[in-house]
Amino acid sequence: MADRYSFSLTTFSPSGKLVQIEYALNAVAQGVTSIGIKATNGIVIATEKKTPSFLVDDSTMEKVAVISSNIGMVYSGMGPDARVLVDKARKSAQEYKRVYHEEPPTVMLVKEVASVMQEFTQSGGVRPFGVSLLIAGFDETGPALYQVDPSGSYWAWKASAIGKNMVNAKTFLEKRYNESMEIEDAVHTAILTLKEGFEGQMTESTIEIGIAQLVEEVSFDGQTSKVGKFKKLSGSEIKDYLANIA
Amino acid sequence: MEALFGIVGKDFVVTASDRTSARSIVIMKHGEDKSRELNKHTLMLYTGEAGDTVQFAEYIQRNIQLYGIRNGIPLSVHATANFTRRELAESLRSRNPYHVSVLIAGTDPKTGKPELYWLDYLGAMVKMNFAAHGYASYFCMSTMDRYWKEDLSVEEAISLLKKCIAELKTRFIAQLPEFMVKVVDKNGVREIQL
Amino acid sequence: MSIMEYNGSAIMAMKGKNCVAIAADRRFGVQLMTLSTDFQKIFPVTEKVYLGLPGLATDVQTLAERFRFKVNMYKLREERDISPKTFAHMVSSTLYERRFGPFFCEPVIAGLEKDGTPFICSMDLLGCINHAKDFVVSGTASNQMYGTAEGLWEPELEPEDLFETISQAMLSAVDRDASSGWGVIVHVITPEKVITRTLKARMD
Repeated sequence: MADRYSFSLTTFSPSGKLVQIEYALNAVAQGVTSIGIKATNGIVIATEKKTPSFLVDDSTMEKVAVISSNIGMVYSGMGPDARVLVDKARKSAQEYKRVYHEEPPTVMLVKEVASVMQEFTQSGGVRPFGVSLLIAGFDETGPALYQVDPSGSYWAWKASAIGKNMVNAKTFLEKRYNESMEIEDAVHTAILTLKEGFEGQMTESTIEIGIAQLVEEVSFDGQTSKVGKFKKLSGSEIKDYLANIA
Repeated sequence: MEALFGIVGKDFVVTASDRTSARSIVIMKHGEDKSRELNKHTLMLYTGEAGDTVQFAEYIQRNIQLYGIRNGIPLSVHATANFTRRELAESLRSRNPYHVSVLIAGTDPKTGKPELYWLDYLGAMVKMNFAAHGYASYFCMSTMDRYWKEDLSVEEAISLLKKCIAELKTRFIAQLPEFMVKVVDKNGVREIQL
Repeated sequence: MSIMEYNGSAIMAMKGKNCVAIAADRRFGVQLMTLSTDFQKIFPVTEKVYLGLPGLATDVQTLAERFRFKVNMYKLREERDISPKTFAHMVSSTLYERRFGPFFCEPVIAGLEKDGTPFICSMDLLGCINHAKDFVVSGTASNQMYGTAEGLWEPELEPEDLFETISQAMLSAVDRDASSGWGVIVHVITPEKVITRTLKARMD
């Protein structure tokens, strides 16, 4: 009986569910864990990098993506689906910049991506995205961390985890999180959270970390100001963090 | 050579349009009415390119009528003028723009206040106490500047209108022998003889 | 006769100390004939940003409507007021969208940023922005306004002094332009309030 409602996305099941969306969430739940933590002065997002075989050259794998100069995101779930969203998010950020000559606020970018994901739950001939996203940004209003699900719903978090180990990771975060945490602490906590249930050796090539924080910038007329920037940590930076933890 | 007038009074607007329909130097018709009743309390006077004028006026008229039927409440004069302005402004940048200038006269259906709007074919809109289109404006704006005042009675407004027409008869090279004069007030539109 | 001079207008904006002023003449005419002396050419965008639109009257009114729409949508979408700098870029991109069939209007924007910094700029009809540290002018009387503003403006003027400066600069300028004048409206934007006054000019 349930099968009858699982072909067309636009059909509700008698109990009021859209089962395709639930299946998409299952796909997310099979994905590799990703973590996001909000600190007082920034956001950190981190994820595990898993290769099907050690023969794969993991230096080309990229799971934390830069969207605009102040926003980045990470996914859990299906890699190819996430890439489509990264493309759309980057394009939307550039379109915003073209009109207003400023970087989009985090929440605007999140709304844009969420509305794309929602559209794919109601259109014909498509399936929902098999990913959940953690979007980290730093704008005029400060640091912000959002999670977006395949249904297109989104929330702001102080700390969140998505993917295979999300339940354990969230419990861990609930214990370790505190409001006054600064970005350095948050990176440590993110690594420690990933370490819970981490299979194999954690090295700079098996995890990825991105940070959104204030950075000093010099404008064309020599004025310095602090602006929000998102950057990915380099292999050596990650190595240093790992060394401090061990 | 055509002339349109509008004069705002206490609780009415007096309008006048010449009744000739000319083409080049030839008068093709006497007794033309260059106005359309948009709804019970709004009158539009028009002048401009022959052919465009009636087409445009009736297009506006029917849209305003449609609004009244759809919503069961007549469109206000202000909204009517803004609608017309937008149609003209959009037409201006289309492949073949309307070349029509209009005056929109009416009384607000709620407050009964008289209103008069001047619009040119470009889509510029101004609310005025007295207005004119065509060559008549060069001759008569100053006359109306001099004699118009707040809260005119119908008689006073008509006497001002007569001054304007007299001015045209004296100084304007073209003859405009006959005018159609209408009064718009809360009871609707009525024609009066000068 | 250029289409930019068809209806006639004069608008300028000036920076002061923690305040900005924007002023416009009030004439609406068709070439040399004046038809109205209370024509609106300055439009409030937010409590802290004002937009002046000199140029072809039909485009002044069309653009005022478009920007009202765009700013309302921006406010609903972003749940915040638009800053003058951002608004300037919104105006610029809107004008450039019509690169090959432009609106005949060269806007002036004045406002205070969130931190109270004064912002002024002017634009050409294609949307090329001109920032200035002192004042910007636009309209048929722009040559005259450059002269008067250049002579009267000084840095760090308080709101009342800025009002006096921009008023005198406007009155003198429009008296030497046949296409603008017939009264002036001035808005002085301060962090606390906006002071709006109308001035009588030579009414002939």
